[in-house]
Amino acid sequence: MNLALIASLLLAYAGMLGLCLGMERHWKQLASPRLPAFCRRLCAPLGGGLLGLSIHAASFVWPGGMAVVAWFGLISLGGLALLMLLPYAPRLALWLPAAGGLAWACVYAGL
Amino acid sequence: MKQKTLTQSLSWLHTWSGLIFGWLLFAIFLTGTLAVFDKEIDAWMRPELPTQLIDQAEAAQRALDYLAARHPDASTWNIGLPTERSPSLSVSAGEQRRGGGQYLDPHSGEPLEARETAGGGFFFRFHFTLNMPRNIGIWVVGLAAMAMLVALISGIVIHKKIFKEFFTFRPAKGQRSWLDAHNATGVLLLPFHLMITYTGLVIFYLIYMPAAMDALFDGDRDALFRELRGAPAEQRAEAGRQPTLAQRGEQSGERAERQNGASERPAGRGERPNGQGGRAGEQSRPAAEAAPLTALGPLLAEAERVIGPVAGLSIQNPGRSDARIEARPVLGNRIELTKGQSMQFDGVSGAVLRMPTESRPSQLTQRVMAGLHFAQFGGYPMRWLYFLCSLASCAMIATGLVLFTVKRRRRHEAEGAVGALLYRVAERLNIAVVAGLALACVGLLWANRLLPVELAQRGGWEVRVFFLVWLATLGHAIVRPWLQAWREQLGLAAALCLGLPLLNLAGMVRGSHFWLEASAVALGALLAWTCWKVGQPPQERPARRAAKTLAEAN
Amino acid sequence: MKATTPPWPVISRILAAVLGGYLFTYAFTAALARLLPLAKVDALVVATLASFLVYTLAILWAFGCRSARRAWAGLALALPLAVIGFWPQLLETLG
Repeated sequence: MNLALIASLLLAYAGMLGLCLGMERHWKQLASPRLPAFCRRLCAPLGGGLLGLSIHAASFVWPGGMAVVAWFGLISLGGLALLMLLPYAPRLALWLPAAGGLAWACVYAGL
Repeated sequence: MKQKTLTQSLSWLHTWSGLIFGWLLFAIFLTGTLAVFDKEIDAWMRPELPTQLIDQAEAAQRALDYLAARHPDASTWNIGLPTERSPSLSVSAGEQRRGGGQYLDPHSGEPLEARETAGGGFFFRFHFTLNMPRNIGIWVVGLAAMAMLVALISGIVIHKKIFKEFFTFRPAKGQRSWLDAHNATGVLLLPFHLMITYTGLVIFYLIYMPAAMDALFDGDRDALFRELRGAPAEQRAEAGRQPTLAQRGEQSGERAERQNGASERPAGRGERPNGQGGRAGEQSRPAAEAAPLTALGPLLAEAERVIGPVAGLSIQNPGRSDARIEARPVLGNRIELTKGQSMQFDGVSGAVLRMPTESRPSQLTQRVMAGLHFAQFGGYPMRWLYFLCSLASCAMIATGLVLFTVKRRRRHEAEGAVGALLYRVAERLNIAVVAGLALACVGLLWANRLLPVELAQRGGWEVRVFFLVWLATLGHAIVRPWLQAWREQLGLAAALCLGLPLLNLAGMVRGSHFWLEASAVALGALLAWTCWKVGQPPQERPARRAAKTLAEAN
Repeated sequence: MKATTPPWPVISRILAAVLGGYLFTYAFTAALARLLPLAKVDALVVATLASFLVYTLAILWAFGCRSARRAWAGLALALPLAVIGFWPQLLETLG
């Protein structure tokens, strides 16, 4: 239960990070300049996909409609967390989603 | 207002409606945020009550023993059962279904003397009435909610780079940072802002907008509710007599149809004061002979199976052959606001007399919207989401208020005497409303422990302390220099939050409320951090505060 | 807002938005509830739930349109809407 909740939150965060990296301004701020430009264009769809996974993880915590309500809250809070991390700890902002993937994998392994 | 572009006039509207109602809205949102945990605050404010959750059937039996000994002749017994959120047991006898109850020790069944207190319910009531007479308060809050809706929509229209600046926050840049913080909290939480504001209005929809009721029902509220309910209550009670506990298994499939046929549904208690009409008739029936009550254990189990966790029971005609037991669900077993919903049993045989009914689709929509606002569903994780989202809403309103003064600090000299006066008033009111209200809220909790327990009208005094503290912060904000006033009020609020667990320890009676106190300490730490940041070099101060308000939201 | 400019157009707009807007919404909601092809109670609930959106848009309209006079003119639509919403009551009063 709690693991799914954490996974859902981290996935929401990762999804927002994806959307954020898809924007040129933030791509320049965060990504390595050696990466080719097409990587940036992949980020937004990837982020969208992660948001989708986030609602899937939320559905383990709450039934149907409640999961949707919670999901809106989760992506808002995830986006807000990202917003705060970007100016203060950009490196952490980039690596947090790794933990999200781990937690989500745990949920699948456990269920 | 001269000829202007649409953006300019809406920007004007956003600024001024935001400023005038912003102070009110901040108070509404902050108390609403606290009201998310009203029951938990309530439990903290009544430390005499046990905090260990106990089996409901056992607790119900203790309550019955007590009621049978003390009120054997009462027409109705009411039992408030211990639930996950409020683990206390309370009973009352007579018509009144809620309030004024006697707390019992769920283990021994002995009466408990809890201190008189305004309780966490104070924040809840303040949230929608501002502690004014109920009807006036509801209208004022409704007007503020409309202003919020207008400010939100006009904010979207005037915010040109809404997607480009989705994740933009540049701290330590003065006015720029305040604007970033205001925009980001506004845009990222836009679904929440819109949802919470609109659903807030929907709760009292017929009070705010009785037009359709006036047109179609000539303003006859009772006629409307009769039609919403469908068949009259008496008829339905007879029709639903057949199913017994044993038969219930096969019946659950047919349930939906049967309920649609006779959709009896008491309306929300806030909307219809005369809700007991049908029941009064039942009680005037010829007296029946004495008969023992059915065992409550299986009855509770059955009720829980059908309606989810049970919040309370009321028993009519206890100890007689025509006894009726009504079980009420905890709010929030589903999104729909289920206030007033219940399931009725025969008090002697334990047979199900009436199932909870489903709302018709239109009414379900309204109830789901109200339920979205009440945030009773989804357990503690959902409650925390609501709490954090509404903290972010508070941050959005606060940053908007501060932005107004920061923007005009350089300009106000050019605007003449009135402009300067307005600017000063806004500056001071911001302090008293944002920092001062936080101080008053935590002050209420301190008053709960510090006021003598035997004080008469103690709950009223707690509320008086709340308002006196709030008034004092206004005075303080006026006499002290601007920056010092911010720092001192934030610092004091932080100290009071951090000291809350110590205060509890120092008391004669203490409950164990780990989560509430941990949250208070966390909020206190944030306030302290803010206070410290505010003291940083003045040219950077505004940005730092924005950062904190946001951090708080995270 | 400079304090030197006469504030009358602004006051007129505020009145148009808050009072005019409410009257318009009131009439609109009544008319909508009357016209919706649903059961009486359903039409009532649906129209009332939508009314807050209507009021919001009416307020935005009152401030967004080019002059205060136009704002009042737009909100005067309340009159025919009220006639639609309340025609049975109206007939009763007249007849």
